[in-house]
Amino acid sequence: MAALSESIGIDRIRQYLPVATLVVLVIAVGVAQPAFLEPSTLLQLAADTAVLFILATGVTFVIMLGGIDLSLQSMASLSSVVVALTIARLGYGSFVLAVAIGAVAGLLAGLAHVRFRIPSFIATLAMGGVLFSAALVISHEQSITLGEAERAYQVWITGSVAGVPNVVLVGLVVLIVAHLLQSRTPFGRYSAAIGAGEPAAYASGVKVDRQKVIAYVLSASFAALAGVILAGRLSSGSPTLAAELLLPSIAAVVVGGTAITGGVGSIWRTLVGALIISVVRIGMTFLGVNIFAQNIVFGAVLIIAVAITIDRSKIPIVK
Amino acid sequence: MPPSVMPTSIARTGTRVMTLHANAAKSAVAVPKKTATRRWRLASWAPVIVLVLLCAVIAAINPNFLSFGNFVRIAQAAMIPLVLGLGATFIILMGSIDLSLEGVLTLSAVILSMLVLNGANANDLGLLAIPIVLLVGAGVGFVNGTIHVRLKVPSFMVTLGTWFIGVGVANALIGGTAIRINDKLVRALAIARDPVIGFPWGVWLALLCFLIALVIQNYTRLGRYIYALGGGEDLAALSGIPAARVRIMAFTLAGVFYAVGGILAAAQLGLGNSQIGLGRLFTTITAVVVGGTALSGGQGGVHQTLIGVLIVVVLSNGMVLMGIPPSVQIGVQGLMIIVAVALSMDRKMMRIVK
Repeated sequence: MAALSESIGIDRIRQYLPVATLVVLVIAVGVAQPAFLEPSTLLQLAADTAVLFILATGVTFVIMLGGIDLSLQSMASLSSVVVALTIARLGYGSFVLAVAIGAVAGLLAGLAHVRFRIPSFIATLAMGGVLFSAALVISHEQSITLGEAERAYQVWITGSVAGVPNVVLVGLVVLIVAHLLQSRTPFGRYSAAIGAGEPAAYASGVKVDRQKVIAYVLSASFAALAGVILAGRLSSGSPTLAAELLLPSIAAVVVGGTAITGGVGSIWRTLVGALIISVVRIGMTFLGVNIFAQNIVFGAVLIIAVAITIDRSKIPIVK
Repeated sequence: MPPSVMPTSIARTGTRVMTLHANAAKSAVAVPKKTATRRWRLASWAPVIVLVLLCAVIAAINPNFLSFGNFVRIAQAAMIPLVLGLGATFIILMGSIDLSLEGVLTLSAVILSMLVLNGANANDLGLLAIPIVLLVGAGVGFVNGTIHVRLKVPSFMVTLGTWFIGVGVANALIGGTAIRINDKLVRALAIARDPVIGFPWGVWLALLCFLIALVIQNYTRLGRYIYALGGGEDLAALSGIPAARVRIMAFTLAGVFYAVGGILAAAQLGLGNSQIGLGRLFTTITAVVVGGTALSGGQGGVHQTLIGVLIVVVLSNGMVLMGIPPSVQIGVQGLMIIVAVALSMDRKMMRIVK
């Protein structure tokens, strides 16, 4: 009995660990650099987090099911290239086209995963290669810079309303939509059930394969949306634009407390995780850590967070 | 009856009973068993058939493919993927995955370039740098294995982390630049050719690694244990195989092979930088999987990986001969992974795939 209450206590602490970490980090950076706590800086932080948050939100759906998506950075880069190439001709239609390509890519990866029974990390790794290759071919292996006329279509990304950057508002819309998807739809509930115990979910009549495919479609679509926004913020499209974002995105999900084994997690946790990653990044820049060497910290954070959040009872044999 | 005779006699009786049984059931039992064996044999030869067909088609389109110069080019392109593939094969045989390959390779290449005669500092260790680099690779692999086993973290997550840590450390060491290698002996490892056949020494080094891997796989306890773990870890552990130690040793071994890959890459390019590993993970996994080693573990081996590497390298060589841009090749490799895995998975065995 004592052991039981103790384990519940630990679980409860574990649940609030990410939020506590975020608060401590914000205070720590704020003490070292008081300007950090000004509203304008915090809004800038939120704006800088938006792309990471959208990528992480997409992959949260997949991780909830117990899968993984290693193609998101290639998808986001491809979508930035698609936007850069078609925005002059299609205008706002280019954004729709980019997200639609994302949905199709996600559908194909999901189908390869469930129909051929290919493990998700290898199916999405392969799909990532195909997408990267496509981006290289259509961009002729070059970065495409957008002109003034084309940037006019991107005001919804680059502008601001009453001092709040539009990107933050887009991020909020994504947060609300994703939260509703996760907590108020059958898909959300089913994916939590599948992540918690796939045989039980299957036995109780959940169409497991369909939910999985939906999750991969969502993940790739959100990644494509992140690519669209990245193209707006950087006024360019390139096949390697998002190359550095895979690790931070997965780290954000895991640091937020979503278990890599699936079943436990939420979009809110991912938001907290994405903010933690952003604050850590700003803190490291402030401390003068080489921007490339920051990957050392993210890699270590990823491993530690997985080790803490993983549900070992669910995997008798860890491979 | 002396105890030593007992097992034999039991075995004999067992055989006799089985033979009788088979005779009684006649063709009903014997025929499907035979076809199953034959199909299995065919499946394990499929990569070789694919390789031969591929060579025939490319040679028919462009006869230059069969020139000696092109053979050297293929061997040279295959040496690094082969060495990397050997390491990855041991991990995949256990049913795990190692994504840290690019990290270890980059780190090894950068450290090698900093220890030998170079354009950035005063070090001049020459060939002595090689054992140090191999130790670094072993160290990273050991860390991978230890975290994976002791903290029970899935291997793809651990190695995803160490991939970026490796590249990050390499970057921190050189600060985003490249270090030129001025040591002629080290460069000769990958470039100079042997006087008899005319292959670069690196190719022979890679083949030596292949032989070592083959011996480890077939004739050492570690190799057999790795197969046993891949075939069914719970059973293997129950029959007394030290599963944790085997896993850690396999990851360490893989790290050493990646370090050899890093040495060859640095020697070939004549420099160490943080982009030296880019895209190599993808090629390596394609090669291992196309060779017929199953991701679920227990099936395949380094001999299959040799064929897989040749398929991947010959295909990209053929695409170059046909004037197809290299950027398309990554996409083709992606499709190859999906097709190969889809064909090789024994899907009846597993209902849950994550």
